[in-house]
Amino acid sequence: MTEAPITAVPRRPMAKAWTASRAILAALGIAALIYLPFLLTERAVFGVPLSNGMLLNLGITQINLMLIFMLGALSLNFLTGCAGLISIGHGAFYAVGAMTGAVVGTQWGLPLPVVLVAAALVGALAGVIAGLPSLRVRGLYFVLSTLAAHHIIIFIFQEYQFEFFDVAGVPYTNPALGPMALDTPIRWYFFLLVLVIAVYWGLSNILKSREGRAMRAMHDHELAATAMGADVRILRLKAFALSSAIAAVAGALYAYYLTNATSESFGISFAIQFIAMIIIGGLGSLPGSLFGAAIWLLLPSLISGLAANVGDAPALVRVLLVDNRAQFVQALFGSLVIVLLIFAPGGLPDLSRKLGRLFARERGQ
Amino acid sequence: MTEPLLSVDSLDMRFGGIVALDHISLTAEKGAITALIGPNGAGKTTMFNCITGMYRPTSGSIRFAGREVAGRPAFEIARAGVARTFQNLALFPGLTVFENILCGAYLKGSSGLLQGALRSRRSRREEHEAEAEAWDILGFLGMEDLAASKPAELPYGQQKQVEFGRALMQKSQLVLLDEPMAGMSAGEKKAMSDLILRVRSDMGKSFLIVEHDIPVVMELSDKIVVLNFGRKIADGEPEAVRNDPKVIAAYIGGED
Repeated sequence: MTEAPITAVPRRPMAKAWTASRAILAALGIAALIYLPFLLTERAVFGVPLSNGMLLNLGITQINLMLIFMLGALSLNFLTGCAGLISIGHGAFYAVGAMTGAVVGTQWGLPLPVVLVAAALVGALAGVIAGLPSLRVRGLYFVLSTLAAHHIIIFIFQEYQFEFFDVAGVPYTNPALGPMALDTPIRWYFFLLVLVIAVYWGLSNILKSREGRAMRAMHDHELAATAMGADVRILRLKAFALSSAIAAVAGALYAYYLTNATSESFGISFAIQFIAMIIIGGLGSLPGSLFGAAIWLLLPSLISGLAANVGDAPALVRVLLVDNRAQFVQALFGSLVIVLLIFAPGGLPDLSRKLGRLFARERGQ
Repeated sequence: MTEPLLSVDSLDMRFGGIVALDHISLTAEKGAITALIGPNGAGKTTMFNCITGMYRPTSGSIRFAGREVAGRPAFEIARAGVARTFQNLALFPGLTVFENILCGAYLKGSSGLLQGALRSRRSRREEHEAEAEAWDILGFLGMEDLAASKPAELPYGQQKQVEFGRALMQKSQLVLLDEPMAGMSAGEKKAMSDLILRVRSDMGKSFLIVEHDIPVVMELSDKIVVLNFGRKIADGEPEAVRNDPKVIAAYIGGED
């Protein structure tokens, strides 16, 4: 065992009681989440204007996109981290949702809730089909089959787009939830926030329930899960269906939020970013999925914000932050992913825990 | 005479040119502890894998509780009522001890993913029942205070016990234990034997056990089947098997 001494880091936090301090923290958190969109749109705190730098160069659009990507990261992490399946095709299920939105919403003119239900159903079906190779192939071969699924789906989107629309893509108009039109970023924010919380709640319930536990068991030791009476083939397909249904709903929302989508919106780099998010946040961790999506979506704009404030900083900083910002962000994420994969497979939270333990040990000596 | 709970008849298992099991027949009676012994490579674990559907036997018949199960997939045989442990631990390292045992209740429930997500009434009821039962089993094993540990934090012997607990949790009539006492001290072995006897009397389960510790096996079993190089060389009550010259030869390596 190479674990640090128990005294340095408690191995398991005690089950937390619902104490007064926790209740206050929770209330503050909820208040902050409710106040955040107003802060970001008015760009002022209780009437006192804030500079762009003070807002970390963030806007409500980035937050809303972050929420949409959180749905994708959560669902992919459910599949990858919990059910033991890695899919490069996850971005393509966003495309499935966008395509469903194009047919049901744009072409048939049905309202958004119907579009979302349809996206979930079509996404689940597409997920089962894309998951079928998992019955026969494992590991890298399965990963490659999801890559193939990605290309097939994008190809279908492209054919569909040019058959019924044109090179400008599919327009998505007038999203509304019954009487409430989703016509302001703040309304979108609250709708997306509720959705992310609901999906998070549902997935974490699943992990503590009968079939979710069987999926985690299957991930850890497939043969033993089979010996418990679990039909792992069916479990895998169910995991796929659920995961891609969520991704498809997110994809439909993504298209409606941006009001336009083309087959090129969902390229391979779009798909890969979900894998990066869950590696950064921690494989198999639901909170990590949120964290990874937040870093992925917000860090570039934080860096842009820094770039605007570098002034007469040293030349190297200017070169990195101003002249080559896009490349710098990519290199930063790339090296972050590599470092995490090698040193902290549990993602950034794992890395910070390990570093903390290391410093604690250094200090102890 | 009623049909035995498990009856294996003329079972062959070949891997390419290698005959791992050569026309083996054996039975395990309801309520009995049957032991399967033999030197290394005798085919004991292969037999377990055939019975539990992890291998598809080349030919022969396996009847369990009146049904032919040879060649059926493993999850179906588990559903028919066969639970097992593995020679090399097969716990779920990412799950706590408590959750590992809860997993054994998989077949007792029927709630699906969406019911789990929404915490439907059925899902919650099944969860409550399974948790209560898992606490009973942990109490039975004397491991309540280890419920929140991860398996890797426990010594080997206790990990074996967790796996045993998970098998007990399963809705099963027959429990196959593959070397349940390997790596245990004499005291732990005694405790494990007592546990198996108590499970038989309290829960009414039958056992088929592979175990290397001959004195323990003699003490515990109602019947012993001896394999050597894929063949059955003896089958009977402990006393008879102990004095069988073929068994002595197989173990000590004398003339056949």
